[in-house]
Amino acid sequence: MKPLNLTALLLFLGGVVWAFTLSDRAVREVQDFYFSAVSPFLKSGSQMETRARNFLTETRHSKEVEVELGAIRTELGRLHIIESRYRDLEIENGRLRHALNYKKNTHFDVVPAQVIRRQPTTWWQTVDIDAGQSSGIGTQLAVLSNEGLVGKIDRIYGGQNRSSVLLLTDEKCQVSARVEGSTEVGILSGQRGRFDGSPLLRLRFLSADAKLQPGQRVFTTGRGGIFQPNIPLGTIDSVKKGALDSEALVRPSVNFSDLSTVFVVIAGDS
Amino acid sequence: MLSSLEIHKLIVIRYSFITLLLLLASFVVQQFLPAFTGFYQSRILLVLLVFLCAAVTVGQPTMLMLAFVGGFFWDAHCGIGPHGGDPEVYTQQVESLRFGYSILLFAAMGLLMQGIQPLFRRGKWQFSAYLSGVAIFLYLAAEYAIINFVRGDFVLSKATLMQMLFTSLLTMLFSPFIFWLLFRIAKLCQHSINPDAGRRRQHAHRNQ
Repeated sequence: MKPLNLTALLLFLGGVVWAFTLSDRAVREVQDFYFSAVSPFLKSGSQMETRARNFLTETRHSKEVEVELGAIRTELGRLHIIESRYRDLEIENGRLRHALNYKKNTHFDVVPAQVIRRQPTTWWQTVDIDAGQSSGIGTQLAVLSNEGLVGKIDRIYGGQNRSSVLLLTDEKCQVSARVEGSTEVGILSGQRGRFDGSPLLRLRFLSADAKLQPGQRVFTTGRGGIFQPNIPLGTIDSVKKGALDSEALVRPSVNFSDLSTVFVVIAGDS
Repeated sequence: MLSSLEIHKLIVIRYSFITLLLLLASFVVQQFLPAFTGFYQSRILLVLLVFLCAAVTVGQPTMLMLAFVGGFFWDAHCGIGPHGGDPEVYTQQVESLRFGYSILLFAAMGLLMQGIQPLFRRGKWQFSAYLSGVAIFLYLAAEYAIINFVRGDFVLSKATLMQMLFTSLLTMLFSPFIFWLLFRIAKLCQHSINPDAGRRRQHAHRNQ
C-alpha cells in the first residue's frame, strides 16, 4: 500500500472512532450546526413555495373563493360562540376545582402549526412543521390533530421556526396506552417497515388473558412524562394472545396520509 | 517554476476540492427532494449518488475524505433524538443507530465503486452508472439490516423491499447527469478523470 493511502486510511479510521464516541450533546450540536448552515436555503425555498402557492390561490375562481369565505365566516361565528361558552365553563370548572382543593392544573395550551414537509428521511416516520423555538416549542412535547395523537416533537431546527415531529407510526415513538372499558394497559408504537396509507400500530405488554374486542377505543394513560392523559390513539383491530402476554393491533384514529394542521401541546394536564 | 508533477498535483487538489463542494451542495438540494408516496415512499438519494459518482473519479485518499464528510453530515441530516420519557414506564426503549455508522457505509460503497475504476478510466462510465444503482441498493439493505440488528426481530416487508428497489432505480437514473457534471468540472480544472480513454483515442487517431 502506498504511504499516502495508508496515512489517509489511518486518518479516516481515527475520524470514524472520533465520530462514534461523540456524546449525545455533541451530536445535537453537530445537527444544530448542520441545520443552521442549510437554513438560509430552506428559508428561500420555503418563500418560493409560499409565493407559488399564493399565485395558485389567486388564480382560483373568485366566485368559488367568495362562497368559501362565506362558509368560513359562518363557521367562525359558530366557533366564537362555542369558544366563549368553553371559556365560561373553564373558569367555572377552575373555580369548582379550587373549591374542592384540587391541585390539578387545568391549563391546556396548544400552538397550531402546518405540516410543511413529509418523510424527510428514509427510514424514520417524521414530518416537519412550521413552528419552532420562537413559538415556545421544545423537544418531547405531544403533537395532536383534531382526531387524536399525532406524535411528539423530536427535534427543533436551530435558527429557524421549524421542528420535526416523530409520528406515532414510527417504531421509536412509544406511548403508554389504556384500553377503554378494561383494565388493560400497554405500550403502543408503530411497526417497522409499515408506512402505507393506514398502518396499524402495536399495543404490547397486555396481560396474557386480555379480554379485548375489535372496536374498543385506546387512549393515552398520561404516564411516562410526555403525553397528557385521555388523548385518543385509535381502536382495537385484532388481538394476538401469547403465553406470557398479549399484543393487539390498533387502527390509529389519525389519518396520517392526510395531515395538514397539527397542534403542539406546550402546557397541559399531566 | 513548477514542475509538471507539481502542476498535476495542484490540478488534482483543485478537482478534489470542487468535488467536495459539489457533495456539500447536494446536501442542500437533498432537502428539497420529497419522497414519492406512490412508489413505496422511495426517494432520490442525491448525496449518496454524488458521492458514489465522485468516488470513481478520484483516488483512495480523496474518496475516504469524501466518505467521511458525506457520512458525517448524512448522519446529522437523518439522526433522530433520544427516546425521552420515564424509563420506569418505557422499560424497553427502541434503540437508534449510532452516529457515524454512515461514514463506514459510505466508505464501503466508495471502495466498491473504485473496484471498477479501471473500466471508468477507459471511458466506460456506463458500468459505473449501473454499479451506482447496485451500490445504493446495497447501502439501503445494509442500513436496514443494521436497524434490524440493533432493534431485534428481523422484519422485511414487501413494501420495504420495493422502497429500496425503487429508491435505487430512481437514483440511478440521475447518475449520467452527475457524471456529465463531473466531466465538466474536470474539464474546467484541466484534469482528466479517464486518462486511459484519452490515450486510447490518441492512439486510434495516430493509427488512422
